[in-house]
Amino acid sequence: MIAAKLIRRINRNLRPFGLRLGAVPIWLLGLAIAIVWAMPFVWMLSTSLKYAGDVMTVDVEWLPRRVTLGNYEKIFTDFPVARWFLNSVIVSVISTGLNIVFGSMAGYALARLRFPGRDALFMLFIASLMVPTEVTVVPLLLGIIKIGWWNTYQALIAQPLTYVYSVYIFRQFFLSFPRDLEDAAKIDGAGHFLIFWRIAFPLARAPLIAATVIVFTFNWNNFLWPLLAVSDESMKTLPVGIAAFAPVVGTRTQLEGFALGMAGITVLSVPSLLVFFFLQRYFIQGLSSGAVRG
Amino acid sequence: MAMKAARGRRSADEEPVDWVAYVFVAFFTIPFLLFNIAPIFFGAYVSFTKWGIFGKPKWVGLQNFRDAFNDEFVGIAFTNTVLYGLVIVPCVVVIGFTFALYVNQRWPLSALARTLFFSPYVVSATVIGLVWVWMLDTQFGLINHYLGYLGIDNVPWLTSTNWSLLGVSIASVWWDLGLAFVLFLAALQDVPRDLYEAAEVDGASRWQRLWLIILPQLRPVISLVVTLQLISTLRIFSQVYVMTNGGPASSSSSVIFYMYNEAIQRQLFGYASAVAMLLFLLIIAITIIHRVAIRER
Amino acid sequence: MAKTMSLSRRQFAKAVGKTALLATAATFPAPFVKGADPITINHWSWLAASDGEIWAQMINSFNDAHKDKGVQIKMEVIPEEQYNTKVLAAAATGNAPDFGWGTAGQRAQWAQDGVIVPLDDVAKQTGLDLADFSEFSLKMARYPKYDNKLFMIPMDLMSLQPEVNIDHVKEAGLDPAAFPQDGATLIEWAKAMTKREGDKVTRSGIMMTGSGVQPTVTWGIVAEQMGFQRASDDLKTAAVNPEAGKAAMQWVLDLFDTHKVSTRDVTDRYKAFGTGQGSVFWTGPWTLNGYVEQKLPFHTYLFPKIGEKQLTYFEMGGMEFYVQPDEARYEASMQAVKWLSDNSFLWTTKGRGASPRTSLLNHPDYKTAGHSWDVRGAFVDGMAIATAGEIPVLAGPNFTIYSGGNFLAKTLEQVWAGQKKIDQAMAEIQEQWQKDLDAG
Repeated sequence: MIAAKLIRRINRNLRPFGLRLGAVPIWLLGLAIAIVWAMPFVWMLSTSLKYAGDVMTVDVEWLPRRVTLGNYEKIFTDFPVARWFLNSVIVSVISTGLNIVFGSMAGYALARLRFPGRDALFMLFIASLMVPTEVTVVPLLLGIIKIGWWNTYQALIAQPLTYVYSVYIFRQFFLSFPRDLEDAAKIDGAGHFLIFWRIAFPLARAPLIAATVIVFTFNWNNFLWPLLAVSDESMKTLPVGIAAFAPVVGTRTQLEGFALGMAGITVLSVPSLLVFFFLQRYFIQGLSSGAVRG
Repeated sequence: MAMKAARGRRSADEEPVDWVAYVFVAFFTIPFLLFNIAPIFFGAYVSFTKWGIFGKPKWVGLQNFRDAFNDEFVGIAFTNTVLYGLVIVPCVVVIGFTFALYVNQRWPLSALARTLFFSPYVVSATVIGLVWVWMLDTQFGLINHYLGYLGIDNVPWLTSTNWSLLGVSIASVWWDLGLAFVLFLAALQDVPRDLYEAAEVDGASRWQRLWLIILPQLRPVISLVVTLQLISTLRIFSQVYVMTNGGPASSSSSVIFYMYNEAIQRQLFGYASAVAMLLFLLIIAITIIHRVAIRER
Repeated sequence: MAKTMSLSRRQFAKAVGKTALLATAATFPAPFVKGADPITINHWSWLAASDGEIWAQMINSFNDAHKDKGVQIKMEVIPEEQYNTKVLAAAATGNAPDFGWGTAGQRAQWAQDGVIVPLDDVAKQTGLDLADFSEFSLKMARYPKYDNKLFMIPMDLMSLQPEVNIDHVKEAGLDPAAFPQDGATLIEWAKAMTKREGDKVTRSGIMMTGSGVQPTVTWGIVAEQMGFQRASDDLKTAAVNPEAGKAAMQWVLDLFDTHKVSTRDVTDRYKAFGTGQGSVFWTGPWTLNGYVEQKLPFHTYLFPKIGEKQLTYFEMGGMEFYVQPDEARYEASMQAVKWLSDNSFLWTTKGRGASPRTSLLNHPDYKTAGHSWDVRGAFVDGMAIATAGEIPVLAGPNFTIYSGGNFLAKTLEQVWAGQKKIDQAMAEIQEQWQKDLDAG
């Protein structure tokens, strides 16, 4: 009797939070898992603040016994990390921007315009997703060397420009677009371009953000292509530069320790984490509401 | 009159053709053809040749493919790649879906959970290479440390031929899950509330609601996620490269990784391209099988 | 009508704008400006261990000394595994660097294809004193099959010798002055210095990894000590005396499974030795700088005689010149290399291996400058026993014992992992090598 009353009272209090008593354990479990899921990041940060000698300890230390910002100092002074960061920003922003603009136009045309070869073109785009990038990388390398684009920004920008996810996302979105808007505009005599630019595109905020997050992330983390296309230290992008600290394939294993590498990858991860963090609501919205139907 | 001009000429089959569409697609398509398709065709051509970058490719017909079939390391790479698919894809789909279900409940702090679950997706391969190699370290790694509390001996995650594939897979699931998770979440949010409520009114239990109503609604998304993850996993490369370099003894090697080695380290581009072509065929085959299997249901 | 017209104009403007943007993008200043300054010599290096730091110092010294003369070397560090591919790609499009680091004996294919150029004439022109170089070093820099021309200017000679953690030696009550000279004593020492937890090795007596370079090169050395020859002297027969090769494979396996002085669980051997997780680590002089800097207590000794002969791995590094469309560049590059070689005292006392130049070896300070003779001496004196080198055929890379990824290493890896029987591995190796030798 009393127990039932108690439960009801508790449930009433929990209601504004959307919880029931029975759900609380699952709720807590889920949170615990979520926190554990992100543990590697905490570990990464923690290690980056340790002195090199304190890293390999038999007991796991979540909080460094001695905190130091020395690793961060070192990577910025001993290595052109600032320059790598700048390179990544330049390449990612430009390539993402162009990809989104071109991709949205192509997606719109594929969804709403009629022209011979439309479906074939779309098939071609999708098929290219199945071909591993790694296959295209070496012939592309030769091509860009021939036209003198080795170690240049153009080469770094051009390759990810062809990422077809944005076209796919925009096409999906525009397919579900109500025709009446268009028809209204057409009656006013507007041509397709105006329709696209003035009406369709501004309404496509959700897929725009979704595509931007995906493409930017892809660009920021692009690894193999910058690894090959650039050998000049001052032209490397951040992931490639920092990879020199990786114990298995890095070239600096004898000299640098994990702590330094962790500082490097913390710096590396911050921009993409921030971009996602601020845009996540739109991001998820952009992937729903008809944008993705499989 | 202006309307007609704006809508374009009529083509033979009475449907207006929007010629301006070609302009629309040109901006994307031209770089695409140049930087994506052209290298693919060149790669396809090279797979029938023997070529070491310097000098002209020498036509050898099907020799590369024959060599690939006889090369035991190619066999190992393909087996591993399929294993990766069998391990990673189900994990990503199931775990991602579970997480999405959880976040979709909109319990307190669900936004935090959402951020935490997705965040690994945005990091770079280099991060995986450093953090997870460290976490899976046999002596000093976090994973073994906590497994120790459960009474389990140190697992040689990355240094043993038995465990390396699993070690790389664990890191991969952690990394790749984010996209599946948000796709599921977005789709769940699309499920009309009335469906939920109607089922609740009918007295359906939570489980029944899940299986009989939500899952069927989500079939297209599930199919999409499986397809995307499958294709992406079959192409696995960067994790292998930064975590184990394919070892030990090729136990974690994947097809693309093997191809990279043959191409970059041994300059056997013809051979490497042939191996890549074989993988491409495998991917197409699996995708088609998957699509057919779905349609049949 | 009017509306359509203005539309097209706007469309056009947009298209032009986009093109303009792209055009601007194409004219971003490329930091790699080739040909703008005719006296910038392009040099690529793949040195990445602590030797890389010293080499960078050498290049900087050159640049400082030549600032007024208007000649500068621009060095780029390329990851070792990509070095070959990038050089080839560059050479294929006429953009190869002027000179780079090479390993003697592994460039037969490049010599044949003309990626690297013969240097006899250019060397003579610039007055490089070839007579000062040891005969052996020059011999190694030639390719008999290609007119016996000189394809490399030797910079230093290296060998693999055991570096030993002296603290571990003293801890085990052993005498640092009496390092083992034969295989049996070596194993005894290793057993005394190994630390175990139950059945697992936690501190390796002999630093080894389960895959990669270390076990491969160990096998190579021990095999040749036991009488195995990767190729007959006339380069016609592969795998001479395979029984010795098999015995050597067993010797390596025994380290893990029988004597239990090594463990397969090490991923980074350099770091492991540096953090005291191993006692005896045979490696090359490229590690000296790093370990000395971190004040690791170690000495270097001569490789013991495990088989019938006492020998160890030999490697020679030097400068190779890549094909240039403008032949005038060779002379400028040779001038630079001449300076580097003449001034390689720092390189061969602190940076890496022994000098190939007699004048430097005879320099009064040679033994005292740079790193202490305790750690450096064995690498210099040990050149006398360093005879296991490269097989100078087109498929040379398949034969090299200092590799983690070539055919030999991959096949051996399966033996170390217990996936392949020794007999079968030997048979496969013999078969492949025979094919390689037959190919030329």
